[in-house]
Amino acid sequence: MKAPLSWLREYVRVDATAQEIARRLNVSSLEVERVLDVGVPDADGNLARFAVGKVVEAVKHPNADKLQLCQVDVGEGEPRQIVCGAWNFGVGATVAVALPGSTVFSKDGELFQLGEAKLRGEASRGMILAEDELGLGRDHAGIMLLPDGIEPGTPLADVLPIHDQVLDVTPTMNRVDLLSMVGLAREVAALCGGELLPIDVVDPPIRHPELVEVTVEDPDRCPRYIARVLKNVTIGPSPIWLRARLYAAGMRSISNVVDVTNYVMHVHGSPLHAFDRSLLSGGCIVVRRAADGEELRTLDGTLRKLDSRDLMITDGEKSVALGAIMGGQESEVTDQTTEVLLEAANFEPVGILRTSERLGLRTEGSNRWEKGVDPYSAEPAAILATRLIVDLAGAELTGAADIHSGLPARPVVRLRPERTDRIVGLTVDPDEQREILGRLGFEVDDEWDVTVPTWRARDVTREIDVVEEVARVVLERVPHTMPLRRLVAGHLSEDQRLRRLVEDILVGAGFAEAYTWSLVATDPDSRAILLPAPMTSEQAVLRTTLLSGLVDAARVNVDAGNEPIALFELARLYLPTGEQLPEERWRVGGIVQGGFTAARATVETIYAALHLELRVRRAVLPQLHPGKSAEIDAGWLGELHPALLDGEWGVFELDLATLFEPIPERIDYQDVITYPAVDQDIAVTVAEEVEAGAIRDVVVGAGGPELREARLFDVYRGDQIGAGRKSVAVHLSFQSSERTLSEDEATAMREQIVEALAERFGAELRA
Amino acid sequence: MDAKTLESDALTAIAAADTTDAIETVRVEFLGRKSALKQALREVRDRETGMTLNAVRERLEAAVDARDDELARAELDRRLTTEKVDVTLPAGGGGRGHLHPITQIRREVEDIFLGLGYRVVDGREVETTRYNFDALNFPAGHPARSPQQSLFIDDKTVLRTETSPSQIRTMEAQQPPIYVVSLGRCYRRDTPDATHTPIFHQVEGLVVDEGVTLADLEGTLDFLLKKLFGEERRTEFRTHDFPFTEPSIEAYVSCHVCDGDGCPVCRHSGWIEIGGAGMVDPKLFEFVGYDPERYSGFAFGWGLERIAVLRHKIPDLRELWRNDLRLLRQF
Repeated sequence: MKAPLSWLREYVRVDATAQEIARRLNVSSLEVERVLDVGVPDADGNLARFAVGKVVEAVKHPNADKLQLCQVDVGEGEPRQIVCGAWNFGVGATVAVALPGSTVFSKDGELFQLGEAKLRGEASRGMILAEDELGLGRDHAGIMLLPDGIEPGTPLADVLPIHDQVLDVTPTMNRVDLLSMVGLAREVAALCGGELLPIDVVDPPIRHPELVEVTVEDPDRCPRYIARVLKNVTIGPSPIWLRARLYAAGMRSISNVVDVTNYVMHVHGSPLHAFDRSLLSGGCIVVRRAADGEELRTLDGTLRKLDSRDLMITDGEKSVALGAIMGGQESEVTDQTTEVLLEAANFEPVGILRTSERLGLRTEGSNRWEKGVDPYSAEPAAILATRLIVDLAGAELTGAADIHSGLPARPVVRLRPERTDRIVGLTVDPDEQREILGRLGFEVDDEWDVTVPTWRARDVTREIDVVEEVARVVLERVPHTMPLRRLVAGHLSEDQRLRRLVEDILVGAGFAEAYTWSLVATDPDSRAILLPAPMTSEQAVLRTTLLSGLVDAARVNVDAGNEPIALFELARLYLPTGEQLPEERWRVGGIVQGGFTAARATVETIYAALHLELRVRRAVLPQLHPGKSAEIDAGWLGELHPALLDGEWGVFELDLATLFEPIPERIDYQDVITYPAVDQDIAVTVAEEVEAGAIRDVVVGAGGPELREARLFDVYRGDQIGAGRKSVAVHLSFQSSERTLSEDEATAMREQIVEALAERFGAELRA
Repeated sequence: MDAKTLESDALTAIAAADTTDAIETVRVEFLGRKSALKQALREVRDRETGMTLNAVRERLEAAVDARDDELARAELDRRLTTEKVDVTLPAGGGGRGHLHPITQIRREVEDIFLGLGYRVVDGREVETTRYNFDALNFPAGHPARSPQQSLFIDDKTVLRTETSPSQIRTMEAQQPPIYVVSLGRCYRRDTPDATHTPIFHQVEGLVVDEGVTLADLEGTLDFLLKKLFGEERRTEFRTHDFPFTEPSIEAYVSCHVCDGDGCPVCRHSGWIEIGGAGMVDPKLFEFVGYDPERYSGFAFGWGLERIAVLRHKIPDLRELWRNDLRLLRQF
């Protein structure tokens, strides 16, 4: 909401500058996004160069058909001659005059300095102003006409906010009371030590009373409905003071009656609506739910299809407004309107929010209603609006109704002032707490029973809510301390520590960490959890594998030419359980250029670093190259199926809980220093299909406890070996922690191994 | 044979040797098995001659060793002068991997709080509406409960909209004192733009203990913000509104780019909004069965991406999810 300061100052007397007010509001009340300067510049005495003038003579310019030659009294004794292009005034008009040397806006909105000029041979010593030239509006159709009776020579700044500062504010959800000038004024008064000024408005008397029939069929959704009928209304433009205020507040001027409803909404925060009463053919107001499929063309020209969740204002025969959100086009106030039914009602927030969300229709009104407007504020709003329509449109009030079944009682909350201190961590004297609450409109009795003002009744219902009222006002005084932290011990859990370790291992192995979306387009698991209403089809399923995100990330980098590419992600997966919540498991996955070998090498590194034995089994997995595809207890590794991404990519994915489970709790030292090792290499030929893993298992099984290391270091195929066979070389290292092994002992163990290999695989020793 | 002459001849030869090979020749000639000195020593019969000759031998051995060292050092120096490399030529290193900037900030935040005695809890991402909304005191009509703002699996299940459900799960699992942080993914139906992605990360903090105050919250956040954005930063706390805290505040830090003078990063305000915080609403304590008269607490929940883009001046938060190595390699 935009709050022009000149307008705000009508309700609060305060010395603080706009910047000081903004600062205090920002800390204690609501966000002031910025302070805007509007109107002509207030610098170098510029404002003193604008005055109220009275036209004492106006004739056609002798040399130009489109110009008037005016003599204007600006209180200098002698009138000034001013050439003017507008014709919407004559002798006797009270106008706004810019004197030479003043800075004003051009038609294009650029500031320029006015000089004395000769126009078609006639001197012009000033300018009669249109509202756009002062930045008070957009209208350039004619000059501004000021109310009669203002003394010529009166500084224009005393009459109009020709320079103003505007606070652009956004309250939180709970402070709809601050979407009003009176609400803001109350905060400013409380925070900046200002004096709240009363709004003195006398409700006009009812002439020729008539019955105003209002029926509310859904009082839960519409707890209050004030209707007022005004007759002999003359629709016309609003006076400049009203136009200027609306313009500075970011609203468009439409006509006096419509402008009044917007103006009063801004003042009291309770939205209003005006119907052309002659178009309410049913002659009454009935508030009810819409019938399913009911249609209404709203003011914006859109035909809305409604259902029983929506609240309608009807005239007893037909719908005339979408309750609290937008009026109907058919009953709109127009230039022909002479009778007005003014609505100042109250609506419950949740239903309004639902309708406005469903229709995608948000208005200044719905924005307030959906936050819960004070039902008490409807009455002062109705009175002020009635007064203004009577004053500005020459209308008379002929009937009034106020339908409600009791307004809500004000909550009463017991406050322990020492409780405030205990929560805030700052001693705030009880007298000061009482004073703060009083300035905010709370009544505090001797027992510290706090009666909440009507405009905060939804939000402040408990002691802690009252504590917050005090806390926010003293917020800048709150010291910075640290909690006591007895009985605490900061540490990562074992899993958290190991997750970091896996990340570090992969970073050490040259991988960059990727963050990919946990919602994917499709998932290989047909039971994966689907979002019933995804934002896009690209993010529709909770993934059960990291692979597709990593493949996408790799593709981005291929396209960008970022080789070499090695990416990993450590994140959660969501495995369906058949219960309400899926099982969320941590996985690490990787993708790396270099095919199967690169994947295997990476997984070997992870296992080695975690002191785990890697056992890999051949498997066929759909995402992998069928010949280069393997399972591990904790997951899988292999070469990415080339159909998924061009090139040779090593990929893997490991379930972390499974991976971590066999990690030894501690490492016991083995003495490999005291006694030397005896190294022996063997090479055996075996059938081609015998896998290295099986050979190693037999070697380890036959080698006995002193076989410290068995490493397959070469596989050779060639004519000497024969077709269908291969030679496998194994490095053996024997060592005891208790004595020095002899060559003969080592040889005996080696022979045992060779025998076992011969028995198991028909292996033949080559050398 | 005259020992003196022999010694002076030898010393002359040692001094004349100009390579290590030459000194070796001198060593063989004067001190070798077949040298005159060794010959004489083998033939010596009286103690006095023996002592004299041995003294000569020792002096000559020392002189040869000294000259040898000298020449070896000179030869090494000579060789090293020919072995010059271009030290400015890169050697192809730097092929390291990279932690994602969000992980780096995540760890930094975790470590700060570990140092303060907090634990790290993991929470979960798919939540019941009971934990995500009801227990956190979201009123019935709150916009976050609407499918327009949140991503639902069904009526009762939602992708968590903030990390705060972990507060409830932590409080249910133990009694105070509680000092925890929880970091992880959250989900909101936000159209992606430079400052929003539908999936994002938050850091949540929760403290529940006897005598915890708003001042403690401000002190803790002040500490955290200075660690993240620099010790010279100033912090400011402004009133706000959240369902799960009362009083609620929003934390601001003086702009690290302009130091408060005003620049585009802070939208010329000098302050950067970091995120929400507040004193745990007593409703939450009621939900988990804590006595709100005995315990008080604070909580905060901030976006990690926001901290990352601010700190590293990344103009568009979506870049953090593109996984382009040209970005990742900078971190």
